[in-house]
Amino acid sequence: MTITTASPLASIARPRRRASMRQWTGILYVAPAMALVIVFFVVPLIFTVWMSLHNWPLIGQPSWIGLGNYTRMFSDARFFSALGFTAYYTVIATIAIFALAFPLALFVERQRTGVGFYRTVFFMPVVVGLATASLLWVWLANVDAGVFSSILRWFGITGRAANILATFDSAFALIIVMVVWKIVGFTMIILLTGLQAIPADLTEAARIDGANAWQRFTKLTLPLMRRTLALAFILSITGSVLAFDQFYIMTSGGPQNRMISVVYYIFNQSFVSFQLGYGSALSIALLGILVTLSVVQLRLLRVGDER
Amino acid sequence: MNTAIKARRARKKLFGNTVFHGFGLIASFFFLAPFIWAGLASLRSNAEAQSPPLPPWPKNGISVDAYLTLDTFGAGVWQHTMNSLLVSAGTVVLTVIVSILAGYGFSRYRFPFKNLMFVLIIATLMIPFQSILTPLFIILAKLGLNNSLLGLTLVYVTLQLPFSVFMMRNAFDAVPREIEEAARIDGARDLKLLVRVLFPLVLPGVVTVAIFAFLNAWNEFLAALILLSDNEKYTLPVLMTAVRAGRLGAINWGALQAGVMVMTIPCLVVFLLLQRYYMRGLMAGAVK
Amino acid sequence: MLKKLIGTVSLATILMAQGAMAQETINMWVRTGIGTAFTTLADSYNASHENQIQLTEVPFSELVQKYATAIAGGQAPDALSLDLIYTPSFAAAGQLEDLTDWVQALPYYNGLAPSHVALGTYEGRNYGLPLLVETSIFAWNKDLYAEAGLDPEKAPTSWDEIKANAEKIRALGGDKYGFYFSGGSCGGCMIFTFAPTIWGSGADILSEDGKTATLDTPQARAAVENYRFMVENDLIPAGAETDNGVNFMSFSNGNIGQQSIGAFGMGSIINDNPDLNFGVTLIPGSEGGVSSFAGGDNIVVTKGTPRLDAVKEFIEYAYSAEGQEVLAKSGALPSRLDIAEQTLASMDPRFQVAVDAIEVAKTPYTLLFNDLINSANSPWAIFTNAAIFGGDVDGAFAAAQSEMQSIIDNAP
Repeated sequence: MTITTASPLASIARPRRRASMRQWTGILYVAPAMALVIVFFVVPLIFTVWMSLHNWPLIGQPSWIGLGNYTRMFSDARFFSALGFTAYYTVIATIAIFALAFPLALFVERQRTGVGFYRTVFFMPVVVGLATASLLWVWLANVDAGVFSSILRWFGITGRAANILATFDSAFALIIVMVVWKIVGFTMIILLTGLQAIPADLTEAARIDGANAWQRFTKLTLPLMRRTLALAFILSITGSVLAFDQFYIMTSGGPQNRMISVVYYIFNQSFVSFQLGYGSALSIALLGILVTLSVVQLRLLRVGDER
Repeated sequence: MNTAIKARRARKKLFGNTVFHGFGLIASFFFLAPFIWAGLASLRSNAEAQSPPLPPWPKNGISVDAYLTLDTFGAGVWQHTMNSLLVSAGTVVLTVIVSILAGYGFSRYRFPFKNLMFVLIIATLMIPFQSILTPLFIILAKLGLNNSLLGLTLVYVTLQLPFSVFMMRNAFDAVPREIEEAARIDGARDLKLLVRVLFPLVLPGVVTVAIFAFLNAWNEFLAALILLSDNEKYTLPVLMTAVRAGRLGAINWGALQAGVMVMTIPCLVVFLLLQRYYMRGLMAGAVK
Repeated sequence: MLKKLIGTVSLATILMAQGAMAQETINMWVRTGIGTAFTTLADSYNASHENQIQLTEVPFSELVQKYATAIAGGQAPDALSLDLIYTPSFAAAGQLEDLTDWVQALPYYNGLAPSHVALGTYEGRNYGLPLLVETSIFAWNKDLYAEAGLDPEKAPTSWDEIKANAEKIRALGGDKYGFYFSGGSCGGCMIFTFAPTIWGSGADILSEDGKTATLDTPQARAAVENYRFMVENDLIPAGAETDNGVNFMSFSNGNIGQQSIGAFGMGSIINDNPDLNFGVTLIPGSEGGVSSFAGGDNIVVTKGTPRLDAVKEFIEYAYSAEGQEVLAKSGALPSRLDIAEQTLASMDPRFQVAVDAIEVAKTPYTLLFNDLINSANSPWAIFTNAAIFGGDVDGAFAAAQSEMQSIIDNAP
């Protein structure tokens, strides 16, 4: 068993002998996919790079400014605060998701009656769109028509109606709770596959050797799940770095612009300020960041392979 | 003596079961509560809709006010639901066909630039597609596909490809070569071999791909908003932006809950019906 | 499909009957959330004219983006009802049809709503013309005034009075609040309702030419203090702090004692909620004076549209006595002031207050309206939220002032 990842460099060709006719058949098979990717992805992307070298208003004539957009980026305090916030969000969200996904995965790993039901239930929010989930939660958190504020008041935690979305800390906490609710089932299933791949006799042997549950978990389970963990981390981190919907829908980037993620900032530059050139340059920068992150994570994976 | 041990074991088992299911049920409650709450609240009458849902169920009898209000937005909720269904179904069919072909090609054939092509497809995952929307719009306009549900469908299929091709390649990789060789000896060739022999073997992967395609197409909103410019062609999520924006300076929470339910229920139904395949496909994709 | 078929058949019939003049379909966009005035006008035009208007409603927060993308893709509508504050930037980009020669030849050109004409003018040429006119005004709930022991017929004339009244109304307890505003970084709401309290006393947030941010003035400080008073004394609902505009019309629920609203909103209250007993007056400045924000939509024509004549026919219809009345009945103020009196003759007298407001109303003229003021992440939007609800008023003023100036200076 080898674990593969969603990262590009993970594909490894297996040399095989085939007649040269077969080569063309192979290309025919992948042609539709390649055509779509080229027309609807590669061409727009090249166009984006081209735009990033211009001062490109949404309407009117673009003008060539070379690397101007890229140098501007380094003195753009708002871009750096968006980067900072995205990093903060990514770290907190990833920790929160794993802190819950692991116990849940251990919980649903057991062969017991009802466990299938629990798996299904924990996974249900995953299939709902993030935008839909954000709408649902923005209602739950609404101070007048929602649930949380009334419940808090009911338990006497807050005096007058508490507006959860009004301050950074409570709004951020709410978004983390929403995202965990929405995503944790997915991470749980990924971790579950890793847990199930651990041979049962190994755990049994450790038990006979007198290792307690915690020792078995840290000394046996975690190391053996190294690569599953890496996959789950990559998915979680990439998803968090690209986060946009929840901030756009739930807080509009507020309170006081403190929840503007990188994608949100790109969106604002491109479609609110209509500086498409600068927006494109920011997109290219974000692409660079993501590629770097993947390469780093891939390194970690390789290290795992050598052991 | 023997019975005492048995009794103790039974007690222990009972205790274990209680803890297990106690935890399971409490956790389940937290996962389900938002859905249940919104579902019940969406059945309240207009008079109740603006107040906090405590208790969540309608106090003055079940009412479909919220759904009727939702219907007054845009061109009516049926029209938009049909659009969404059309786009989602189209995305599913095309994604499945394209990714089976590509998955098979990448798994079983060797050809020049194979790795480069695969990397290229997977790399689409890493671009926030919001940033290529404007060029995308211009290209669609050049192809005469703007403001058309087909154009939107093709864009969605492209967005689905990295995940789907990856899944399908893994699914084909997991099929033992011997099966294929045997079928080949029996005279099955290429497409026939693929459809008759291999398709049933990769079905869980196909279902996973199909479900993901459906869910993502069903839920996507920004591209739909930018690429469509006719009231009648808007998909459901675009309708939801109008509901969220409120009307005449007031948001109708009932309509919002109703919209959330209309958006949610098809996703849950598809998932619950097909989850057996779906989970299997997902797990096979994660661990190959 | 059936609809299209019927459309084609009736089109064919008309063509056969009329022969010479070809019927045209004008594609127009209108933003959602501004009431029914424009849709009603289009319907009544379609009923009485051969050319037909096909209207597409676009969510208001996405209209500009969508229109600009459509222009880039060569798929723009023939004309659209554009928030008037965006007219300068679209005109500056050279995407709008120059209507100068035609409109200045109209006999009633000088009677068109002045703020709208001014915003629709770029470098001396007319690109946008008034279509939907509205102003912001101060509304008070007469029933709540009476309940709180205040004179329900006496309009408040100063902020001291408004604050005192708000306290009395809040003292009624429960859900009844003295005041309301959409304070959750809703730049558009706050420029509409809050900025007039600064303008009324003679200050402005931008210099005349729009090149300098002039936010930090004693008048603005006083205006902020008035609103902070409402927050600190629990005179507004807690939801105001995060209301990004979706509950802008909270006044219509009957539990809000006083709020600045718009003429469209007033129209919809009068139509849909006739039991709400309220009065309206001009918005008092923080240190005396009165002001208002002239808002609404200009009609603009996409450059190079082949259906220019048909669009002109529609605009003339909108400016006819009949068109003006249709607009007024669904809540828009007259766009022709020369016949405003006769248009409003049969209407609710409260509309006259909104028309009076046109004379004192302002609209900032800047190509950067979205960046500076309107977007949810603009310095003005952030400033209103931070200064009124936050702990650091000085910091909010300083941050917004420098941010606004830097956006102006860095504009391409």
